[in-house]
Amino acid sequence: MQRELVSFPLSPAVRVKLVAAGFQTAEDILEVKPSELSKEVGISKEEALETLQILRRECLTDKPRCAGTSVASKKYTALELLEQEHTQGFIITFCSALDNILGGGIPLMKTTEVCGVPGVGKTQLCMQLAVDVQIPECFGGVAGEAVFIDTEGSFMVDRVVTLANACIQHLHLIAGTHMDEEHQKALEGFTLENILSHIYYFRCHDYTELLAQVYLLPDFLSNHSKVQLVIIDGIALPFRHDLDDLSLRTRLLNGLAQQMISLANDHRLAVILTNQMTTKIDKNQALLVPALGESWGHAATIRLIFHWEQKQRFATLYKSPSQKESTIPFQITPQGFRDAAVTASSSQTSSSNLRKRSREPEEGC
Amino acid sequence: MGVLRVGLCPGLTEEIVQLLKGQRIKTVADLAAANLEEIAQKCGLSYKALVALRRVLLAQFSAFPLNGADLYEELKTSTAILSTGIGSLDKLLDAGLYTGEVTEIVGGPGSGKTQVCLCVAANVAYSLQQNVLYVDSSGGMTASRLLQLLQARTQDEEKQAGALQRIQVARAFDIFQMLDMLQDLRGAMAQQVTSSGTVKVVIVDSVTAVVAPLLGGQQRDGLALMMQLARELKTLARDLAVAVVVTNHLTWDRDGRRFKPALGRSWSFVPSTRILLDVIEGAGTLGRGQRTVCLTKSPRQPTGLKEVIDIWTLGTEEQRPELPAKQT
Repeated sequence: MQRELVSFPLSPAVRVKLVAAGFQTAEDILEVKPSELSKEVGISKEEALETLQILRRECLTDKPRCAGTSVASKKYTALELLEQEHTQGFIITFCSALDNILGGGIPLMKTTEVCGVPGVGKTQLCMQLAVDVQIPECFGGVAGEAVFIDTEGSFMVDRVVTLANACIQHLHLIAGTHMDEEHQKALEGFTLENILSHIYYFRCHDYTELLAQVYLLPDFLSNHSKVQLVIIDGIALPFRHDLDDLSLRTRLLNGLAQQMISLANDHRLAVILTNQMTTKIDKNQALLVPALGESWGHAATIRLIFHWEQKQRFATLYKSPSQKESTIPFQITPQGFRDAAVTASSSQTSSSNLRKRSREPEEGC
Repeated sequence: MGVLRVGLCPGLTEEIVQLLKGQRIKTVADLAAANLEEIAQKCGLSYKALVALRRVLLAQFSAFPLNGADLYEELKTSTAILSTGIGSLDKLLDAGLYTGEVTEIVGGPGSGKTQVCLCVAANVAYSLQQNVLYVDSSGGMTASRLLQLLQARTQDEEKQAGALQRIQVARAFDIFQMLDMLQDLRGAMAQQVTSSGTVKVVIVDSVTAVVAPLLGGQQRDGLALMMQLARELKTLARDLAVAVVVTNHLTWDRDGRRFKPALGRSWSFVPSTRILLDVIEGAGTLGRGQRTVCLTKSPRQPTGLKEVIDIWTLGTEEQRPELPAKQT
């Protein structure tokens, strides 16, 4: 076990003293008792004990992240992972085309990034998902709770009420056809008050508050173990607004991305991040690309880009480990995020409208 | 070079250790560099005893030179070349991944690095029947995609399950977890714990995700930690005769006004082979899965070789898609 001291998360002050005393590798220190170590090196007994615990990779008694690290260091075979993935649910979006290209819906244990121009529907999708994550399991949902971290102030409670009511009505229709006791019981718990009380809302005004909130999330999640969705609506705004040092921004964003994927894995939840678009001038062409830079493109596991084409909204899957790139249309109705109106019937109605209009002048003349 | 302790070698008693410590000789390196006559006079120890002690310690801790011919023989027997399962990629890599070396896959977001890694894992587990360790630090490992790749090779469910069992997945989201993981691998291989075969390929996807938050700014340890990881990966490849595959990101170089691999020049010396994945511009809807692979660093092949792969049909028989330029 010839691991050097620098490869352990020791505090720099302690490490400098250890190296000055001649200890280079973990092997050297593990043979020493804590009291001897503190005398030789000149550190306090508590520091010596903590150092030995870190080197032995035991759980530190007062650190709350202990549970996370021990789970992460377990190895699984791909077969076990496959079984896990099959039993894991997806969070449906109520737009069946989007669910199809995502392979069933927003997957748990992964980070998904949604980019788009202003007004295309990113926050609408987030609010829809905050309601959809609570759908009971017998209706095909994951029966979880949601954490909504808002940095732009675009969360409207009345809109969530409308979405929730539409969802409840939809489920009542489905339950009506099933007449199952299980379904009826589940529906009793799925009321407006319950839905709203299970969305935990945090408002962050700048990047320091956002980073602090993400740092405190693991504690919050261990107290609320039913949370299955964490939404950060507007990860771009705090980082583009006040931060001039671009290399600091890249570092902070990379660290944040790792924290999010680590959260998603340890607590088995889905993470949704929304991003803005920016213009890139490339070979005298102006392109719309997701904001926050090139390295942020690698941060999320799945990337969706929403865009407009004439009057229709489209969603493109740009990056996914298991699904192909594809584009589908969608729309936002008063009931929420839905499939686009079927284009064949809409073209028929528009052409019949045209015929109606063109006949009138003929009849006129 | 460790600290001088009782029992490190015969002849090193507690008395000698304490006397040497009084003379500020705490480690083997200090003893090897000290002027033994002076020490013998000041401590009251015999000069001959100190010289003998130093000789024994040096013999214990030195590295011995190896004859070139012996080294070649050893490499011939221990090096294996593992096919990646993608014909055009094997051509670029001179028949496949070499054990004992670190190979790096660089590419932008969505260029297919994780897909190539999954294909390699599926191929090594199924066709070559060897174990694979997949260290995932970005959440890209999806077992259902692995199953898809295996289903393209065989319909027999038992064989698929067998191949899936040979792929071990470890999740490490920061650098200390990753170093712990690699240490565990060494320990397991040393004790021959794995029941069916040994690990032949270690895939780290991606190494930039864990190292990038540490580099730059006021943090001085970042570079040291990155080099620690580099050293671990390289010595792992050599000592345990495994092929190490790492993935790296692309960053925008403002001075050169082009994309370059992340993690800087120090890291660029770590892998011996480097391939760059790029999206083909203007490929149209049918060609959206196609990527160019370019060899940018290799100890055996000339650099600049290019091939085309299709990440939607990885590992299946229909592999040689034409470059779109030829069609126009």
